[in-house]
Amino acid sequence: MAVTTKLTWNEEACLINQLGNVSLSLLYKSSVHGYSMSDMLQRYTCEGPTITIYFSNSIVGFLMLERNHKQTIWFTLRKKKDIIEMPTLLLNTVLKTTTEELSFLSYCGETIFSVNLKAQLIFLNHMLNAKIRLPVNSCSRANISECEVFRVEGIKDNRGYLKRITEVTQYRNKLLSDLRAYKPYADLVSEIRILLLGPTGSGKSSFFNSVKSVFRGRPTQQAIVGSDSTTSITEQYRIYSIKDGVHRQYLPFMLCDTMGLHDSEGGGLCVDDIPHILKGCVPDRYQFDPCKPITSKHPTYIKSPSLKDRVHCVAYVLDINSIDNLSSTMVAKLKQIHKEVITCGIAHVVLLTKVNNYDEVLQVNFLNVNKSTTSQKQVMNVSKILGIPIFNILIIGNHTSKWESDPEEDILVLSALRQMLRVTDDFLEDLPKEETTCGYFYYESTSCRLSQIYC
Amino acid sequence: MKGRIVFYDRTYYPFSKFDGKCVGCPTRLRSMAVTTRLTWLQKKILQNHFGDKKFSLLYKASVHGFSTQDLHNRCCNQGPIITVIYSENVVSGVYVEENYQGGTTDSIIIFVLRETEISECKANSYNLFVNYNDNAQYCINLQSGNVLIPPQIAKRLELPPGHQYSFQECEVFRCEDTVDERKIQGLIQLRDQLLLAMRVYKPSGNLVNQVKILLLGPIGAGKSSFFNSVKSVFQGYVSHQALVGDDTTGTSKNYRVYSMKDRINGASLPFVLCDSLGLGEDEEGLCVEDILSLIKGHVSDRYQFNSMKPITSSDVKYIKYPQLKDRIHCAVFVFDINSIEHLSYGMVAKIKRIRREMIKCGMLHVVLLTHVDSMKLITRGDLIDIYSCVPVKLKINAVHRNLGFSVSDILVVSNYSSEWELDAIKDILILSALRKMLWTADDFLEDFPLE
Ligand SMILES: Nc1nc2c(ncn2[C@@H]2O[C@H](COP(=O)(O)OP(=O)(O)OP(=O)(O)O)[C@@H](O)[C@H]2O)c(=O)[nH]1
Ligand SMILES: Nc1nc2c(ncn2[C@@H]2O[C@H](COP(=O)(O)OP(=O)(O)OP(=O)(O)O)[C@@H](O)[C@H]2O)c(=O)[nH]1
Ligand SMILES: [Mg+2]
Ligand SMILES: [Mg+2]
Repeated sequence: MAVTTKLTWNEEACLINQLGNVSLSLLYKSSVHGYSMSDMLQRYTCEGPTITIYFSNSIVGFLMLERNHKQTIWFTLRKKKDIIEMPTLLLNTVLKTTTEELSFLSYCGETIFSVNLKAQLIFLNHMLNAKIRLPVNSCSRANISECEVFRVEGIKDNRGYLKRITEVTQYRNKLLSDLRAYKPYADLVSEIRILLLGPTGSGKSSFFNSVKSVFRGRPTQQAIVGSDSTTSITEQYRIYSIKDGVHRQYLPFMLCDTMGLHDSEGGGLCVDDIPHILKGCVPDRYQFDPCKPITSKHPTYIKSPSLKDRVHCVAYVLDINSIDNLSSTMVAKLKQIHKEVITCGIAHVVLLTKVNNYDEVLQVNFLNVNKSTTSQKQVMNVSKILGIPIFNILIIGNHTSKWESDPEEDILVLSALRQMLRVTDDFLEDLPKEETTCGYFYYESTSCRLSQIYC
Repeated sequence: MKGRIVFYDRTYYPFSKFDGKCVGCPTRLRSMAVTTRLTWLQKKILQNHFGDKKFSLLYKASVHGFSTQDLHNRCCNQGPIITVIYSENVVSGVYVEENYQGGTTDSIIIFVLRETEISECKANSYNLFVNYNDNAQYCINLQSGNVLIPPQIAKRLELPPGHQYSFQECEVFRCEDTVDERKIQGLIQLRDQLLLAMRVYKPSGNLVNQVKILLLGPIGAGKSSFFNSVKSVFQGYVSHQALVGDDTTGTSKNYRVYSMKDRINGASLPFVLCDSLGLGEDEEGLCVEDILSLIKGHVSDRYQFNSMKPITSSDVKYIKYPQLKDRIHCAVFVFDINSIEHLSYGMVAKIKRIRREMIKCGMLHVVLLTHVDSMKLITRGDLIDIYSCVPVKLKINAVHRNLGFSVSDILVVSNYSSEWELDAIKDILILSALRKMLWTADDFLEDFPLE
């Protein structure tokens, strides 16, 4: 008999994907290698992480990082409308083996799961049965037709791995629904405008694509991205609103994509355009001219922008790998821009893109993005250059090469977005009363001084 | 086992209290994970050599113990196995074609892997794994870390004369076919799901009934073949409607807008593919001005291109006032994957120029790499998970580096070129590529200014 798994190819693919693109090697299959406990146990020794799967009328399995590791992940695989689902549960367990039985006990000694291979029987306690939501009619004691043991290769980092596998999707979905439900402070505006600024090729357009993809649930590339040695790919000012894939409504924030900043003077986005952009005078699809800034004579210039047209938050997008060798002109440009932004009192954050080690960056509890690791130096550096506090320096990985979305990447993108909305709320709350209530809007900036009245 | 203890972690974790007997060995260091010592390339060459196999590592001597008993516990009754032996400077081994059950094996294949070359020779063996060297046959002694190769075999494998060769590591893999019935079943299911999704696809916002996809690329890239492939998938048998060929001056001469019918209900599919003249060197082939006219929808079906003279508004095939439905919604750059590194300087410049123009007018585009099936080392089994295949990844990065396209916009297919029968594996690649094109068209339509 051939030693191949009883899982269908789609089930196997789902399992591999959920565990973070690991590879599985089938080591033991009871119908071929005999229903003997010692034979099976032998496969657990010296193999590192293993998965054991029992086939009854449903599929129950568990993942152990190593024999006698105190935590195990329990899962089932089931089909729901062509899509295979994999509910998981993380448990603290104690493994106990006798010649007849293998069982997992809770810390207080209650049997959570047991198997008797010879009798081809498994037992699941009520809690486990309910938590991984096995079909209701499957009783807690079931006959099994097959038992398989796999070695798992490619588990990156043991610390927090199990917790992440079981909770990452949940956390991502929570972030998603939080952001969908977000309302700007005191309903001053219906949509927050976030401006993306940064050097050419730093990933501004990609960030928009990533955000849109997460909310859409499929990869999208509405903004053209790529690289071109000479110029910026994006040449127009674009104000993107994003439609939610689920509720088909516009999300409460817009992303404004700009042309990249160049190392040389007279190339890329013209720094003098920025005050106009910040005030909301520049229309969607405005074609940037690197040599001269927009003027109020431009046919579509927005002469009297209101609070809703203004930029509410600026995100400086920088490639994390380029931080240490930014040219002096670039640093000067960024400093000049930042001075402008501060004068206008606009909320601001830094987005560091192209991190490779985001699984290291992401902490076990997802609550804090961990900056104490390899990216620490760059974060400190940016903080020094721009004088932006570390907690407003966010690290992301854009969806660039993958077909399937990766929940960890999603979490980074969504957390960054959430942080932007938080700082923007502070900004809105901080606005002088006159500006918000009666629509008067007095504006002062370093490069031009104007007061505009909006009624 | 003396001297090998260094492989184990020094801290012996206490075994479970309930566990009366101590079965098993101490916790290993993380670096001691059970992973093969073969490089990707070495493994791939072996897998291909023995017939597109997948290897599952069952036993690794340094982890599981240098003893025949340990090996047999893990490797008997696993089906065909391959044993790989690592000596000082050579990788050799033995392939057992039948289910290995320990004991006598009728026919084995002994091989030596040097760089990318395999030399092999068939032999018989009474006992493949032994504890004492009392055998004139080929055998492996794990205890002493020696492999015994009879002189005549050693000679044929061009090994240095000798009898015993010592080794440091021994690994055993189970060999399975990469494409088996189980996978085919799953792939067919997936294919059918994709087919269904594409049949019921509706362009974004119902702005148009059919999405227009333009295929562009050098001569012989496989543009017409991609249309044939898509058509074949939807009609259920291989079609050769568009003429394909290896004419270096280009096979397709006319602009063709191909609409396709659904095999099931005879309705038109929600997308059309537009095949054009290939791009040539210098002034040959499709000219850049014509591409812009194509994109904006000025050119009608069956227009005969002239590389010297772009279409003008006086031409009978010229559409003066094209509507949204006439224009292109997604442009596709088609390349032969093997040609990426050999594109001429002029061709690269031309592609970059076309891309620049597209960016200017907001035309979204993707890249399609064809001919993956004819790449070195790539087998049919690899097509199942082609995007994670190392040589293909390298090519994708080369496209990104040399031409500037973003990695997520690069698609890979294997067209139907000489086959008579459909193959679910190819269908999935073709359909996934098509799906991405439709998504891109959706993004384009969403972004299109409404005026
Ligand atoms: N690995 C990786 N690549 C990224 C990331 N973000 C962007 N890229 C790549 O970097 C390149 C440039 O990205 P864009 O989004 O076009 O950059 P941009 O800032 O919009 O550039 P311009 O519009 O030219 O000013 C693209 O090839 C992206 O695929 C990231 O987080 N990780
Ligand atoms: N092996 C293999 N051959 C292919 C593939 N795609 C196309 N071919 C072959 O490549 C040759 C050229 O293909 P065509 O489809 O005529 O190329 P084209 O881009 O339409 O070329 P022109 O019309 O001349 O510009 C033909 O012999 C095809 O059979 C593929 O994916 N794999
Ligand atoms: Mg851009
Ligand atoms: Mg052709």
